[in-house]
Amino acid sequence: MTHPFQCIATVQLPGRDEYLAAACGPKVFLVNAGKGEIASEWSASSLTTATSNGNDDAAGTSERPAKKQKTSNAASHAPNIIKLTVSLSQQYIVAVTDDKVIHVFEITGHGELKALSQRCMPKRPCAIQVLPDNATIICADKFGDVYSLPLLPSDAALTQNASPGAEHVDVMKTDEATFKPSATNLTVHTERNRKALEAQMQQKNFSAKKEPLKFEHKLLLGHVSMLTDVVFATRQVDGKQRSHIITADRDEHIRISRAPPQSHVIEGYCLGHSEFVSKLCLIPGTDILVSGGGDSWLGVWDWPSFKLRRKFDIRAAVLDTIRQDAEVSGADKTDTIKKADKDVVVSGLWTAPFANAKGKQETALLVACERRPSLLIIPISRLMLKKDESMTQTRVGHSVLDVTCIGDSVVLSLDTRSAGPGRLQPMKLFQSSGNDKGAVDYERDEEMDAKLKCLTKSSTDAHADDKALDELLYGVANLRKRRGWGDDAGGTQVDPSDTKRDDNGTEAMDVEDDLTVHKP
Amino acid sequence: MAGPPNKRQKRDDKQEGQMPQKKFYRQRAHANPFSDHDLTYPETPEAMNWGDHYPSYVATVPAAVPKDDPVATEDGNDYGVPRMTKQVEVADIGCGFGGLLFALAPKMPETLILGLEIRTSVTEFVQEKAKALRVQHSPESVPGGYQNVSCIRANTMKFLPNFFAKAQLSKIFLCFPDPHFKARKHKARIVSTTLNSEYAFVVRPGGRVYTITDVEDLHRWMVEHFEAHPSFERVEGEELEGDEVLKVMTTETEEGKKVERNGGTKYVAVFTRLEDPPWP
Repeated sequence: MTHPFQCIATVQLPGRDEYLAAACGPKVFLVNAGKGEIASEWSASSLTTATSNGNDDAAGTSERPAKKQKTSNAASHAPNIIKLTVSLSQQYIVAVTDDKVIHVFEITGHGELKALSQRCMPKRPCAIQVLPDNATIICADKFGDVYSLPLLPSDAALTQNASPGAEHVDVMKTDEATFKPSATNLTVHTERNRKALEAQMQQKNFSAKKEPLKFEHKLLLGHVSMLTDVVFATRQVDGKQRSHIITADRDEHIRISRAPPQSHVIEGYCLGHSEFVSKLCLIPGTDILVSGGGDSWLGVWDWPSFKLRRKFDIRAAVLDTIRQDAEVSGADKTDTIKKADKDVVVSGLWTAPFANAKGKQETALLVACERRPSLLIIPISRLMLKKDESMTQTRVGHSVLDVTCIGDSVVLSLDTRSAGPGRLQPMKLFQSSGNDKGAVDYERDEEMDAKLKCLTKSSTDAHADDKALDELLYGVANLRKRRGWGDDAGGTQVDPSDTKRDDNGTEAMDVEDDLTVHKP
Repeated sequence: MAGPPNKRQKRDDKQEGQMPQKKFYRQRAHANPFSDHDLTYPETPEAMNWGDHYPSYVATVPAAVPKDDPVATEDGNDYGVPRMTKQVEVADIGCGFGGLLFALAPKMPETLILGLEIRTSVTEFVQEKAKALRVQHSPESVPGGYQNVSCIRANTMKFLPNFFAKAQLSKIFLCFPDPHFKARKHKARIVSTTLNSEYAFVVRPGGRVYTITDVEDLHRWMVEHFEAHPSFERVEGEELEGDEVLKVMTTETEEGKKVERNGGTKYVAVFTRLEDPPWP
């Protein structure tokens, strides 16, 4: 089995060769796309092994027991890379591994990756961006918070201490004198709670607070929901630059806040999605924001006014592929199509330039749906129309994991784990001259394909079975809420009894709260 | 299963206009604000049907019917919900059995007051009580006739912006919130640096946020977090004189009465919403 490249990105230093950065399991490759050779390679190593021996248990981290298991299992393997991004200056690469660590690399003159820092975040990062100042990272996490960190930590010694182990709770003996339960006999009334309080008063050792992060960081804003994406948007107002942070969450919200130092000011919300939002995409040169997620349409927003310009339907296009798949596999068509509404899950949104019929440069939106073997290509000019919902569907045969533009070609990373070759598929976009006026067509970019051969040929066997790979690559559908538990039982709304409501509506105090998605 | 359905049936036994009995609506006091629950909430504030909650304030001109075009239009009236003559301006977040709501309603007869509560049974109780009070009292006997008070089930920590537009509210009450004693639960508290930004979003400049609790630690936590937030400033001393709702809040909430019975201490704090700073 060949491990797919879960993230790809382009590095384009002015006056130098173009590089493609590709993450494969725990490894990052940097390929010189001009010369067609691998310039450097880096592998994340498991730094957590030391702490996975049971320290976790003693400390009572904030993870559920089941999840603790998962992290310690993961620790025996090298951590996988889950995000990869390049600074605007093209000088730095930032990678996030699934042990919550943010890695910063400098790209040296000869395309070498020089690891500069590793910082372990308190919660798993879901989205990360280097701001245009090339000095700040913003990181949105699973717990709903957005932090800013300096790209280059000011004190190197401090960051070295902040190895992944540091986030684990240290059992500290607190002075008896300093600890006082915040509950008193006046605030707890039931017998059981009184007893618990008494026991607490007599207890001598307390497993104390989490250690604060040992590196410079700032909490900018937060949702009480899992964040799924974050983008930084700038626009000119009265000749002055105004910057914003746009965050998307699992509870259908898109929030627009001011950028630091005023990130406490919420300017507004783009509301209208009825399912989770998983991806945001700003259209360069416009005030248009495109959002996608669990709804069978893309939101096209005029984000400065928080207005939904249109819902761009992609259901038909996705249905089309599902129908074709069903025909191939011989599955029951009506059944598959019935489920299709829930199957439309946008997992990726990108923009790519293309030359229109007059040779002028335009932009196209590229849309990937999770586990769907095609990519939708929509020219921005069509996105802005009121009605037209036509688009170009490229059948690429495998699901699209990531997309990046390098030179004038668009490189797709595909999940070809069983099929073998073709993990990276470069193509060129152009405006078709056929009947469908304005549509974008594509052809394979053989030249780039040859250049990337060095990478796809290299043996990059990661120890991953199908299940582990699925977990790494396809998390978006799990964001969907299981609503209306009566609905699935044949559509009849069961009248909930009180006890059931209690189960559903409230939870015991000791049950750990976490913003995890509970899988069915 | 014998107990609860019985309780449910007994709720229905009462006559129309009769007050609901609290004992049939009790529900344990802790809800996990992070879980999905089975909530209903509007996609956006414009899609919220307030007519069901404040029937006396529905505008007589029929509202626009939804258009075929799914695209939201500029005026935001295409959700098929009735237009209202007034908007909700006062929110009691975690209103419980609604003691404060029903005490405030006659004192602010011209203002729509809304309780938000995460527990289903407790929400139902408040809704029933509002209905009963509306039957029992006319606007002549009691100012407002309790037409200006209602309650919805909501998880405000997640969905506050789904109900209220920017600067819609003049007052928010946070009365006797769940203290979440454990340090690792502090993110579940109703007051936090990041949530305060959402309160600032829905409260208009000059509006006020009121907090009350019997847990001193929580009081300090709330004061600390509101004072640290650049959009809020604590109001103290003589500036509070003449704020009648403050007195009502201290004495009229159900939880406040319980604290008084048990001889507890009540800690009160008031904060005002400042203007947003100019863009840098």
